[in-house]
Amino acid sequence: MPAIAPASGASQLGQAENRDTLALRNTRLTPGDTIVVRVRRYDGADARYQSFKVPYRKYMRILDALNWIAENEATDLAFRWICGSKMCGSCALRMNGREVLACWEAVEPVMTIEPLRNLPVIRDLVVDRAPFEDKVAALEPWLERNAAYGGFPEPLSHKQMKNASKALDCIGCMCCYSACPVIGLGDLTNFAGPAPLVQLGQTALDPRNSPDKVRRSLALTGIFNCVSCYKCEEACPAAIPIVTQVIEPLKAKAAELVPAMAGHARSLRDIVQSRGFVDPGALVLRVKGLSALANLPRILRLLIRGKINPLKTFLFVRTAASAPARRLLNKKAAAP
Amino acid sequence: MQILSTDVAIIGGGAAGCYAALDLRKRGIEPLIICKGLVGKSGASLFAGNLVISGRALGNSEENARNTAEFLIKYHNQFLIDQEWARRCGAWIEQVYYPELEELGLYFRRDDDGNVVTSPGAIRSIAANVQGNSGVPFMDLRRKQILRAGIPKLEETVATALLRNADGAVGGVFCLDYMTGEYIAVQARAVVLATGYSDRLHQRSTGTREMSADGVAMAWRAGATLVNMEMQWWHTNDIADPPCWQRMQVYPNPMLGSNKSARMVNSLGEEFFNQQQDDPLAFGPYTVQLKALAKQVRAGKARYDGGYYAGFDHCDAAEVDSYTTYGKAYRQLGLRFPQQLVETAVTSHYRQGGVDVDTTSMRSSVPGLYVAGGVGGHSNGLIGLATYDGKVVSDGIAQDFDGFSSGPLPANELDAERRRLERLRNSSGTRISPIKLKEMLRGIMWDKVGVEKDAAGLQSAIEDIERIRLDLLPDMAIANRTPTANFEWLDAIDVVNMVDACDLIARSSLQRKESRGPFFRRDFPATDNINWLVANVVSKSGNSLRFEQRPYALPIFRPGFDTKNNLEVGW
Repeated sequence: MPAIAPASGASQLGQAENRDTLALRNTRLTPGDTIVVRVRRYDGADARYQSFKVPYRKYMRILDALNWIAENEATDLAFRWICGSKMCGSCALRMNGREVLACWEAVEPVMTIEPLRNLPVIRDLVVDRAPFEDKVAALEPWLERNAAYGGFPEPLSHKQMKNASKALDCIGCMCCYSACPVIGLGDLTNFAGPAPLVQLGQTALDPRNSPDKVRRSLALTGIFNCVSCYKCEEACPAAIPIVTQVIEPLKAKAAELVPAMAGHARSLRDIVQSRGFVDPGALVLRVKGLSALANLPRILRLLIRGKINPLKTFLFVRTAASAPARRLLNKKAAAP
Repeated sequence: MQILSTDVAIIGGGAAGCYAALDLRKRGIEPLIICKGLVGKSGASLFAGNLVISGRALGNSEENARNTAEFLIKYHNQFLIDQEWARRCGAWIEQVYYPELEELGLYFRRDDDGNVVTSPGAIRSIAANVQGNSGVPFMDLRRKQILRAGIPKLEETVATALLRNADGAVGGVFCLDYMTGEYIAVQARAVVLATGYSDRLHQRSTGTREMSADGVAMAWRAGATLVNMEMQWWHTNDIADPPCWQRMQVYPNPMLGSNKSARMVNSLGEEFFNQQQDDPLAFGPYTVQLKALAKQVRAGKARYDGGYYAGFDHCDAAEVDSYTTYGKAYRQLGLRFPQQLVETAVTSHYRQGGVDVDTTSMRSSVPGLYVAGGVGGHSNGLIGLATYDGKVVSDGIAQDFDGFSSGPLPANELDAERRRLERLRNSSGTRISPIKLKEMLRGIMWDKVGVEKDAAGLQSAIEDIERIRLDLLPDMAIANRTPTANFEWLDAIDVVNMVDACDLIARSSLQRKESRGPFFRRDFPATDNINWLVANVVSKSGNSLRFEQRPYALPIFRPGFDTKNNLEVGW
């Protein structure tokens, strides 16, 4: 088994992972090797970790290891799976801290298996899908036509469906929902979460859908709470570009169809464009209005820490970056 | 125990069950779906790779249309099909199915210029979003339609018994929500079985986790007549390793936007199957492939469980990747794509037989019990055919609706079923866990009721199964009696059904004394159209089975020979 050298400094961050190719993941173990699987057990009251030694077999997936355990060591291990081949999206869990589909991911020599985050656990690795399903249902992710359907096949091109088509690869596995830090904040925001947005994107990014329908759905998403951290894209086993081809286009649609939702994003954009930098003072004033001035202790704290500079804000100080910023932002806006 | 009441209880959340529910709702008849997995996410419908264009749809020529019908009757069902049903089904798919799906928003894959991408050739097909994955957006659409229509559904809930009224008619379903452990009795004026045809009864099987022949077993116990239970399709080129990918196919069908498809080579690297060259009319050439493989196995150049390979090394990566998902498995295994091939093996796939039905109404032989989709014995399914069944069963129920009795749920049956399930949850034997028992059954089926069968092996399988029924079923051991998400308990419930189904399959196989299509008898190698172009019908007769033969009418296509070595028959 070739050793992976630990990263020795910031400049080497990510390189160990980069060397961990799919070919390597599939060949670092050979039949006859033993892998160690540490599984989080939970019976509704107590949680504990239980370790198993599992014989490796060719191309073994995590699901194969779990099935081996259920057949030979712990017949009462609860884990959900249906299709075993990346179509149903029911076997998602966390392996060594990252969200994966058990049926799709190669086993690792030593692995800790835990249920998805951000969802209630029913038993062992089985989570309650209901909170996710309820969010999807609330968005009413379906098509409403403005014009009557003209018969099969109707005029439609892949160019028009490019983003929706990516969203249609979604298998509802909730990996991204578990990985999303904003969903991890619980009720602090009304963010629908990446997976429900992808489910919505399947029809909201479809040119056949009525803008009025899309507007009603988008208004419920809290989409501007997305912090574009790309954790969802990183976790997606279906390789959907969730931020770039689903959430960003949906944000653009929301800004157009429900302008009130995009107040913060628009203000930020305007400030960067006109001033060449992010002026937090100006941003707070634009978003919160003058009522922001009422919270004096907070203003003082921000002043002391150097977070705001009223002089710059009220004198509308600009930097040389404003011209290129304007050029870049307008270029982006003009792109198809 | 929860008691629910509805007009029609539908068991199964795949293509047939969903369509039946939606169509009944449109007529003002109240449906309720009972789904062992998750509606639109479990069962075989999810695996639809592409969608065959029937009739004259989408610029199909007269020749294309005829080829498609011939394919369905000949390659897909080896003439064991009601050809008039096939004709009606084809017309409906052409006129209603595609427009209806597209109007709902299903995305039939286009190119950048707006043309629907098809596979060229004798029989054409299209894809929902991407070839290889059509079932995913297709069934997701159904899931959302059910949601939008507000049709009640019980998910991760297993139907364990059909309940019969005093007059003998089926009038309810006993269920277990296996996530909570709660029993649910559903009272209904009629019940639709839509549990599919891809049960995990063999060591290698395309059936998904939850498929354990529950539909066939429940129907049988309720007294229904079954037909052609021996007719089992096999996938020839499913991925050999890892085990959980056993239902992942290297599709031999023509690729969208290309005139090539996967090729197969034996252990010496010699090509032995390439659909485009070997049989362009065999659009889903599974049986033709199986026969080609059988010859390789007999020559010692492959095994049914591996030792041969499939892939796209004769194609450009871009050609495969444009409209298909076919490269994903190779890449995930770290193989160079498309240069490297993957080892493949045989997997039991659809069961062509099932519950005997009247194809104009989908009535079974038991009053109140209807059937839709693959669990029926009238045809091997495709997602379009299963959907059509959903429509026909809705027609049949609407027609019969006023005549249904609706008595109270029979208290004694409810109680007996509850006690049976409790006994299974408290299994405290010493011999074997339910999951091991499942594997043992699958091993027997693979070894003795596998691709190649003979009388001695089948007799021996029947004896093995009988021993399991008498000795091991009563002596199962369960480690944990929790009612919550107890998959061990579910396995114990499943395995009882599997024993019944396996026994029926082995006995039906023994009965059919010929070889036909994917059904190979070593001791009867010829396809015998004189004696065996018949439905192999089995029904209960007291404590034993009664087999009968019912000939098929041949109004459109005929085999054109009396007897011939099955391996030399082209379908």
